[in-house]
Amino acid sequence: MIASFLIFYITITLFAMTFLGIYGVATRSNLIKKIIMLNVMGDAINMLFVLVGYRLVYPVFPPIYEKHLTVEEFLGRAVDPVPQALVLTAVVIGMAMNILLTTYAIQFYRLHGTVDARDMAEIMRGERE
Amino acid sequence: MRRDVYVAVSFLLAFLVISYAITVKDVLGIAQNPLRTLGEFYLSHAFAHEGLTSHSPEVVTAIVWNYRGFDTLFETFVFFLAIMGALSVLRLTKEQEKSVRDLEAREPHRQMDLIVRATVKLVVIMIVSISASIALHGHLTPGGGFQGGSAMAVAALLLFAAFSKFTLERKGLTLRHTVSAYALGLALILTTVLVPVFLYGGKILQINLLPGETGLFNLDVGEYTAVTFGFLTVFLVLGISEWIFKSVLRREVR
Repeated sequence: MIASFLIFYITITLFAMTFLGIYGVATRSNLIKKIIMLNVMGDAINMLFVLVGYRLVYPVFPPIYEKHLTVEEFLGRAVDPVPQALVLTAVVIGMAMNILLTTYAIQFYRLHGTVDARDMAEIMRGERE
Repeated sequence: MRRDVYVAVSFLLAFLVISYAITVKDVLGIAQNPLRTLGEFYLSHAFAHEGLTSHSPEVVTAIVWNYRGFDTLFETFVFFLAIMGALSVLRLTKEQEKSVRDLEAREPHRQMDLIVRATVKLVVIMIVSISASIALHGHLTPGGGFQGGSAMAVAALLLFAAFSKFTLERKGLTLRHTVSAYALGLALILTTVLVPVFLYGGKILQINLLPGETGLFNLDVGEYTAVTFGFLTVFLVLGISEWIFKSVLRREVR
């Protein structure tokens, strides 16, 4: 009972974080704030994905096989490994994306002195230096 | 301002609808007791005695390197492309590099307090050993090359903050060396991937043909080296002082 309530609560919180992240990406014009909110959104979605693989059995095992276990015991206790493997990939891709985005933001700031998206659009259109 | 309110209200509505579907109707099937069929297959087939896999008792590593090996390989390439994109954006010409070096020689040599430096030295040793244990033991316990490399990058950042970039460069950590080490890590991964084809007559990435746990160990070590030195490369380029970079670049722009 308490466990299912906790999982309900965590799910709602993670979804709130996801939508907060989308809101921030959509409405903030500062590029750094956009990147931060993108990270908040990505991390919330990754945690939600790991939560999908969790199981409501009491002594729950990580998906690591030990010698003293039989296969039936292991299958009855271990969590689902597929979401963890998918999240592992997503984390690496998010890291690569972060490197590239921050590099672009830093270089644009060095060249033009701003990271505001509206100013960047004006500069790109050639309306001001 | 009004547009912000519209956006907020529509996101709130979408949030309410989707969270109702997920928590009350349980669309995603969060935290169910019976395993999904796919998870059951992986859990029961990922052991060494099946002869199918890469001798890893850790099921996540077995999935990542054996069943989804190409995905993981291409993920390494995506990381490579991101590092190369960052480097090509921050690239300097020969003359610019020379003027950066002249300006850096004129900059006063600053470093932090003795207490900070001693603490950082101790902590860095611990971080390096923990990251090595995460990476080299990654095929038996949770972890792996990428996680260990990320931890190692944190150690490098600490060193950058406490000592300066120049101290590290004087000790031999120049851009040329880090790029070479990065290439070495990638070469180790490629060799391990290609060895089954040429030595054992198998398919590409069939690392269960290699003796024992050699394949997984090599892939973890290669990923560890690649991630560590990939991050270090970007940090070294970004570690050039802001005013130096700006003055050199602005001169180029005008």
